[in-house]
Amino acid sequence: MSDTIARDEALEKRLPKPEDLNPMTQESLAAAFAGESQAAEKYLVWAEQAEAEGYPNVGKLFRAISFAESRHARNHLRVMGGINRTADNLAAAFAGESFEVDEMYPAYHEIAKLQGNNQAVRSINYALKSEVDHKGQYTDARESVLAGNDIAEAPVNVCLACGHTIIGDAPDKCPYCGATKDLSRTF
Amino acid sequence: MAEPFKNTPPAPESKGEMTAANIAAALAGESQASQKYLAFADVADGEGYPNVARLFRAVAYAESTHARNHLSVLGLIGTTEENLGAAFGGETFEIDEMYAAYMAVAKLQDNKSAQTTIRYADAAEKDHQAIYDAVGKGVANKQDCGTDAVRVCPICGHTVIGDAPDECPVCGTAGVYFKEF
Repeated sequence: MSDTIARDEALEKRLPKPEDLNPMTQESLAAAFAGESQAAEKYLVWAEQAEAEGYPNVGKLFRAISFAESRHARNHLRVMGGINRTADNLAAAFAGESFEVDEMYPAYHEIAKLQGNNQAVRSINYALKSEVDHKGQYTDARESVLAGNDIAEAPVNVCLACGHTIIGDAPDKCPYCGATKDLSRTF
Repeated sequence: MAEPFKNTPPAPESKGEMTAANIAAALAGESQASQKYLAFADVADGEGYPNVARLFRAVAYAESTHARNHLSVLGLIGTTEENLGAAFGGETFEIDEMYAAYMAVAKLQDNKSAQTTIRYADAAEKDHQAIYDAVGKGVANKQDCGTDAVRVCPICGHTVIGDAPDECPVCGTAGVYFKEF
């Protein structure tokens, strides 16, 4: 298989395999993938909330269960054939970002403006701007991988407020949301 | 020009129905993108592209910040007591309704891998349901839960408080592989 996830055979053999799915089962797993993905994200946010309220162990528990939901999301995605070789994964990632940049967020932005929902506009703008960053980064990475090369070993910095993503040093101030450099997370 | 930064996510607001539906759809999209990129990162590591893997993990984190912002606008970040109640409700729906129905369809259609991935998830949601129930009762009395480690099977998501079993009772993975929190 080209989509090996766990290089350890003991783990790999227990993972559900990609399968030719009937349409209704496909639809079920797609919905389950959406549910698990959202649960994983919610639990991470609720972990921060628990920590802020002085419940560090509840925070830890939410993080652990978020990881469990993330395993389910991965398993469902794999059975649906959504995990492939890196060059293909980069193409799928680029297509997803392009849809968000060209279609989804511009439409949502117009409607939120029309309805006078300023906080929604803000949340949409933060996302839309960073998806443009990602589109460019995935394009460059795919070219590199198609030539058989990894990308350069530079830090990737992400603004924790708005998701602005840059390869290289973080700016002193985020150009999208104004957050200071100390609020950026380095990968 | 960048707006002045307030160290808070976009706030909950009373929304038009279409905007509420759109932000909910965007939350679903961002959450799924984040999970896809985490899986893609593992594949890139396996193919010998550690820096592409790092890029995928960074972008997954960026999508998580978007998911958090949308969640905030939707008013879905409550107090911990409320969050535990919502978590219990979500797990209960998955066990009683969602996975039960999906399993019936996957069996009818004889899709074996689909049955495996549904069985793994359903079993773990039962762990989560019980844990959230117990922890929710503590937090209602202002009690944090215990300091015990939480261990999660990296294959099926089976979740235990305390020591890992020798072998995962759901999928058979050896306990040494469990991830500790």
